[in-house]
Amino acid sequence: MNDLAPLTAAVTAPAIELSRLSISFGELLAVQDVSLSVEQSTFLSIVGPSGCGKTSILNLLAGLIDGHRGQVTVAGKQPAAGNAGIGYMLARDSLLPWRTTLGNVCYGMEIRGTPQAEREGKARHLIDRVGLKGFENAYPKALSHGMRQRAALARTFCLTAPILLMDEPFGALDAQTKLQLEDLLLELWNTERRTVVFVTHDLAEAVALSDRVIVMSSRPGRIIADIGVTLSRPRSVRALQKDAAFHELYAKVWSKLEEGLTSRDH
Amino acid sequence: MTIKTIGGHLLFVAAFLFFWELMAQQGQLDPTFFGRPSGIAAYLWDGFFVNGKLWRELGYTAAGASISFGLGSLAAIALGMLFAAVPKLERLADPYLMVLNAMPRIALAPLFLLWFGLGLGSKIAVGCSLTFFIVLSSTVAGTRGVSQDHVVLSRTFGATPRQLFFKVTLPSAVPVIFSGLRLGLIYAMLGTIGAELIAAEHGLGQTLAYLQATFSMDGVMGILVLLAMLGMSVTYGMARLERFLLKWQ
Repeated sequence: MNDLAPLTAAVTAPAIELSRLSISFGELLAVQDVSLSVEQSTFLSIVGPSGCGKTSILNLLAGLIDGHRGQVTVAGKQPAAGNAGIGYMLARDSLLPWRTTLGNVCYGMEIRGTPQAEREGKARHLIDRVGLKGFENAYPKALSHGMRQRAALARTFCLTAPILLMDEPFGALDAQTKLQLEDLLLELWNTERRTVVFVTHDLAEAVALSDRVIVMSSRPGRIIADIGVTLSRPRSVRALQKDAAFHELYAKVWSKLEEGLTSRDH
Repeated sequence: MTIKTIGGHLLFVAAFLFFWELMAQQGQLDPTFFGRPSGIAAYLWDGFFVNGKLWRELGYTAAGASISFGLGSLAAIALGMLFAAVPKLERLADPYLMVLNAMPRIALAPLFLLWFGLGLGSKIAVGCSLTFFIVLSSTVAGTRGVSQDHVVLSRTFGATPRQLFFKVTLPSAVPVIFSGLRLGLIYAMLGTIGAELIAAEHGLGQTLAYLQATFSMDGVMGILVLLAMLGMSVTYGMARLERFLLKWQ
C-alpha cells in the first residue's frame, strides 16, 4: 500500500495554491493577501470590478509577471512562462493573421513540440468540435469575431495542459454569440474536466460556467467571497437563463460584489 | 478597366500624339527641343529592331538596377533583422545611419566612379546606397510593429527567442518590408540611371546623356518613354508578387 501513497497525494494535491499572495507594480498594490486553493478538475471563476487585479493573478500564474510576495504553486511548480502544464487564453483571440485556421490552431502545439502529424490530426478534430469545419484554410480576416474566438478555443484545448487560464475570452462578443461560446466551452470542458481559472466581470457568465466563484474587491484586490455553485452538470447556459436556482446564485454573487464596492467608500 | 475606358484612353493618347506631330510639322513646336512622335517611334524601332543597340543598353541598366536592388535590399533586411534581435546595436548605429541617410546619395556618384570605375560597379554602388536605407528603415519599422498580443501568447506557449523571431516577428514585418522593397526598386533604378548620366560606357542613362549632348531630341524622348515603361513594369511585377505572398492581408 505504501507505494500507492505518492500517487494518491498527486491526485489530491490542489492544481493551484496561492498563499498570502500580494502583487504590486512599483508603488501600486494590485492584489493584497490572497489565499486560494484550487482543486483539480474545478472550474473556478474570479469576478470583480475592473482593476481588482484578477488579470494580474492570471498573468502571475502564467509566469508573465513577477513582483509578488507570498507562495504560489501551479501544478506543483513555481509559475514560469511557457509552463507546459498551463494553457492560457487571452481576452483577444490573438490569431496570427498570416496563418490559416488550421495553422493557428496548431500554433501552440507547434511551439510546445508536438509532432507534425499528431498536431494536425488533433487540430482538425478540435476545429470540427468548435464548429469551424470547412474553414480550415481560411485566414483570420475572413472570420467573424465569434469564429475567431472559436479558433482560439480550439488552439487552447489542443494543448495537453491540465490547467487552463482564461482571461475574459468572451468579453468582446455580443450577447448571443457569447451564450453560444459559453455552451461550447462547457461542452469542451466537460469531456476532460481540466482545471480552469476563468476571469470575467460578467457575473452571469461566472455562475453559469463555474463550480466555484471567487469575488474580489476593488483595488487592492482581496477575496471577499468564495461561493460554491451547486447547479448540476452537464449544464446548458441557455437553459440556465430561465432557471430559478441560477438566478438565486447570481443574486448572491451580485450582493457580495456590491458589498465589496460599498465597503471601499467609507 | 472596361473596354470603354481603355478605348477612351487610346483615343486621348492618339489625339495628343497627332497634335504634337501636326504642330511639329508646322513649326509651332520646335522638334530640336521637343522631338516628334514619328521621330521617336523611328528611333525606338531602329534601336530595337534594326541595329539592336538599345537591347544592350537596356540590359546594362536592368543589370545595374537589379543587382543593386538585390544586394542593397538583402543587406538592409539582414541588418534590420539584426537590429531587431540586438536592439542595443541599433541604438549604437543609429546616429551614423542617420548622417549617411541624410546625405543626398547621388552626390556620392563621383566618388564611386573613382573607386569602382566607369563600368557596372559604380552604378551598383550608387543604386545600392539608395536602396539600402529605404529598405532598412522599413525593415526596422516592420519588426517594431509586432503585436504585443502575439508576443504574450507565444511566451505563454514557451516560445524561444528564435521561435518568436521566425514565427512572429518576421512574418508580421513582411508587409512593411514589402512597401520598402517597392520603393527600393524604384530607387535602385534611379541610382543606376543617375550614375550612368554622370559617367558611363553603357546603359540607358549614358545613351540619354549622349543623345542630349548631340541634340537628338527624338532619341531623348524615346529613352524617357522606355524608362517610364521599365519603371511601370517592375512596379507592376512587384505588386503581383506582393499580392501573391501576402494573400492573408
